[in-house]
Amino acid sequence: MTVISTPATPTKAVDAQKYRRPGKLDQWICFWSVPIFFTLFGLIFVALTRVMPPPSPNLTTTQVLYFFHHHALTIKIGFTMLMVVVGFASWTNGLVATHMKRMSVGSVWAYGYIAALAVGAIPGCIFAAFAFLTAVFRPDRNPHVMVLLYDMGLLMFIGSLGCFAAQYLIFALAILLDKNKIFPKWLAYVTIWQVVTEGLAAPVFIFKHGPFAWNGAISFWQGTAIFVFWQVCLLYLLHRAIKDQPLGEAVQDI
Amino acid sequence: MSVQAEVDQPLIGQHNNDITAQTVSLWITPVSGLIFLAAFLIFPGFRPPMSPSMPADQVAAFFRDHTTSIRLSMIIFDICGVMLVPFFMLIVVQMKRMATPSHVFAYSYLSGVATGATLFAIADLFWLIAAFRPERSPNLVVLLNDMAWIVFTAPVGMLIAQNICLALAIYMDARPMPIFPKWVGHFNLVCAAVMTPAACAAVFRTGPLAWNGFVSFWLKISMFSLFVIVMFFMLRIAIKRQAFEEKGVA
Amino acid sequence: MTLSTDASALSTAMPPENASVEDAQRPKDYLPGDFNMWVFVLGDMIIFAIYFIIFMVERTRDRTLFLASQQHLYQTIGLINTLVLLTSSWCMARAVRATRSGNSVQALRLVIGAAFCGIAFIAIKVVEWSLEIHHGYTLPRNDFFTFYFMLTGVHLFHVVMGLVILGVVVRELRNPDLRRVSMVEAGATYWHMVDLLWIVLFALIYVMR
Repeated sequence: MTVISTPATPTKAVDAQKYRRPGKLDQWICFWSVPIFFTLFGLIFVALTRVMPPPSPNLTTTQVLYFFHHHALTIKIGFTMLMVVVGFASWTNGLVATHMKRMSVGSVWAYGYIAALAVGAIPGCIFAAFAFLTAVFRPDRNPHVMVLLYDMGLLMFIGSLGCFAAQYLIFALAILLDKNKIFPKWLAYVTIWQVVTEGLAAPVFIFKHGPFAWNGAISFWQGTAIFVFWQVCLLYLLHRAIKDQPLGEAVQDI
Repeated sequence: MSVQAEVDQPLIGQHNNDITAQTVSLWITPVSGLIFLAAFLIFPGFRPPMSPSMPADQVAAFFRDHTTSIRLSMIIFDICGVMLVPFFMLIVVQMKRMATPSHVFAYSYLSGVATGATLFAIADLFWLIAAFRPERSPNLVVLLNDMAWIVFTAPVGMLIAQNICLALAIYMDARPMPIFPKWVGHFNLVCAAVMTPAACAAVFRTGPLAWNGFVSFWLKISMFSLFVIVMFFMLRIAIKRQAFEEKGVA
Repeated sequence: MTLSTDASALSTAMPPENASVEDAQRPKDYLPGDFNMWVFVLGDMIIFAIYFIIFMVERTRDRTLFLASQQHLYQTIGLINTLVLLTSSWCMARAVRATRSGNSVQALRLVIGAAFCGIAFIAIKVVEWSLEIHHGYTLPRNDFFTFYFMLTGVHLFHVVMGLVILGVVVRELRNPDLRRVSMVEAGATYWHMVDLLWIVLFALIYVMR
């Protein structure tokens, strides 16, 4: 009769729990991939392909052609590297989502975070590479097409707002409502700045000069400064979250 | 006894459903594989793969002469291109069954699949746009054709990150009878290594690394097909074993 | 400014018998609200300060345009909105005092009052924007109007967020189990910041010659 009172647990969960490899090696691997790949992204976007800080939206056709001609080699090297390493952005998503699943708020936002960033990676990161690679692939293209690719690459790179705004909002809400204190509440507020930043980048589609253009003081520089600050905070707090996670903690799986 | 049966019943039902869903997802794979093969053979741009050094006039003429077959094959890819997603999700589910310290690799894998599948969906749209008005200026046809080929061939990063993820998860699986044997992990690393050079397809216009070259086209596509075939059989074993284990305990 | 008076009011005017347990455990010179909210408020003020600096730099570059465009703003509506927000802040400050003295019914009423002022602010702002747009002064019109719409827009977003925070405060005040002085204080901290930012914004964009 005592058997009846014990509810049957799904066997797969039992097996995985019983034999679960101790330690946090997988999380540490994902964690250390983040600074490595951010360094690589920095190298690619800042030093090699010159997408950051972005060149002016106010160039003449000749200047655009000169830009692509002058940076063709580094664009090729940098964006080919990006084609190989871009996938590791998904490791960061997986790691953040793993910790969001430890929160008391259920899995809905963890999955939302993965989905928003999996979508955002395409217009917000990879497409700039496609546009620039296509441009330097045939330097003899019609100059108007070159300008089209220039605009396409930079507007997509800087102007992909919604995917990231959604991701930041989801993340901030999850932290604010979480009772397990996986991340401190101030990270949620810092994340809200990021939502505001995305909103302030909206006029990049309108202006070719000034602080709200895609290379402007507000749309680009301030936004990037806040992003870097956020990223450093996230990295530090993720490190702490992994370290503080009790070994063998049972995580909900719904 | 009857009470216990009542307690267990819904859970057993749930498991059977899970196994059914996984089995169906598994068998979607060969079906979509056949459709892919058909579309691959219909697309004139793959037989042989179009050369990147084709002049603009020839590219425009190519789209004009083969409009119907390009449209047909690319519409098939457009409709069925993302049908491999259930197959990749099977891998995610089996990764979550592994006795790894956490599920972080499973979620990373899922994230990579979502991005990768979208990229494939975009590539065939570019070919369809090019074929929509073949009378367009050759400059623009070449542009669309270039973008299609680059998006189709170069972004191998998602597959690389996924394969490394899966390999690491397999190595860390502490089950006495692991979900996938260790050699599948090695195999995944080999896959990642073989596909990596295709990233250069956006740079080279001739030679094995160009998008019609041996490495970027034939080797990459063969490796990907081999990956799907190997994982198909491995998943089949894993699902069967899961069904057996769960039945055995129930 | 309002905050510091609040803090000093606490140390002098609070009757100990009404103080909650939470208050009794606090040191004299504690931080009102919570640390996390202060990180947000101070950081946000830095971010806004940078917006204002960039605005000033652009203004010096094209002073005539900025001054000429400023003539097309509705100073009166801006002033009314300033008064609305000041009233709102005053309600919030009194709500904090009421909460500290354990009078949660009054506190609740005051917070709801503050929230209504916030809603009125948004309504007035929408009217003002529609008038500007109706007269052809849209965001891409010139640099001044870009700043005008973007900065008032970001501020309005903060007002909306503030309403959400006030909503949480109301919810907590209604439920005796959730009631916390620190929560009301945190809400007030944020709400005073929204007020302060508006005053600076009003001075810079509407008034400064």
